Amino acid sequence: MGEHLGVGIGWRSEIDLTVERMQGVDFVEVVAENIHRDHLPESLRVLRARGLPVLPHAVSLSLGGAEPLDTDRVEHLAAVADLLDAPLVSDHVCFVRAGGLDSGHLMPVPRTRDALEVLVANVTEARSILGRPLALENIAALLEWPDAELTEARFLRELVERTDCLLLVDVANMWANAKNLGADPVALLDGLPLERLAYVHVAGGMEVDGVYHDTHAHAVPQGVLDLLGELCDRVRPPGVLLERDDHYPADTVLADELAAIRAVVDR
Amino acid sequence: MSRDDVAAAQGALLRAVLAGADVPPGFDPEVVRVEAAALLGKRRRIVRDIDPETADALGDRFAELFAEYARGNPRRSGSRFREDAAAFAEWAVEHGHLPRARRRWWRKER
Repeated sequence: MGEHLGVGIGWRSEIDLTVERMQGVDFVEVVAENIHRDHLPESLRVLRARGLPVLPHAVSLSLGGAEPLDTDRVEHLAAVADLLDAPLVSDHVCFVRAGGLDSGHLMPVPRTRDALEVLVANVTEARSILGRPLALENIAALLEWPDAELTEARFLRELVERTDCLLLVDVANMWANAKNLGADPVALLDGLPLERLAYVHVAGGMEVDGVYHDTHAHAVPQGVLDLLGELCDRVRPPGVLLERDDHYPADTVLADELAAIRAVVDR
Repeated sequence: MSRDDVAAAQGALLRAVLAGADVPPGFDPEVVRVEAAALLGKRRRIVRDIDPETADALGDRFAELFAEYARGNPRRSGSRFREDAAAFAEWAVEHGHLPRARRRWWRKER
């Protein structure tokens, strides 16, 4: 289990003052690719000076990509983590680059033995560069690969156990996959090694033409909070973090969402 | 199956969702279409954020023209969204959707 973090919110430059002023923020997360490796935005310096953990979260390592790992990106993440004196870093179980193209978004990997071997090799190499704990996050997918050989729970369990990684469990992604792919989020929670939980992501989204989009730009649905409750029935999460990336609402709305999260964790 | 096989399969999927190539066997074509639309929408939002002037100048035609540009110009590994936005603005000029005079020297991308 990761160290205690509390309730947090994703730090974004558009809401830097909001985050600085907001009550009840115990930690924040920052997208590593948006940070320079040699100097921090003033707002993050303020938060660090207060002793708040700032966790770098990467989106571009393409750890599930079968092409050679882009070690420059891993080194950038390591440098940002050094700058923040971060206790851990994270990225996703996905690929973003293949065949010379960049999807610009997190793509699911096939749940096969071969794809798992690729992930294990890339994650092992990344860990040797990072030199600190790495948490791996489950993603929301709109499509599924054919011929899966492993359940998502089994796939993630083997990955984190073989690479000695932590888990970053995104309950909003689980909710999205339940809606769009018919995945069973409770079975996933039951099958994950929650003793390796670093923290939890919560986010909002919206449904368009029968497809749920995990936008991080809309209110958190009750179903996502219910899943957080399911998780909390199994383990007390070291941290829970709200991700909001666009269409920022009034500060009070964000504060209310954090309070709703805290209420689920503390109940 | 080898690492190369996984790489080839991932490449084929990205060509389908980013560049309109054939849907690889075993995938639901309708779902691939939804994924392609979602990726296009995200890319379009980012480009609009970086260069709202071009998007505003194209007005109602922005989404349709950006889709046309994106199909022919999938983002390359290692490219930046800022380069994508600049390339789209240039494409719009070259295809006669915007006057060249609009491009001012102080906005020129290096």
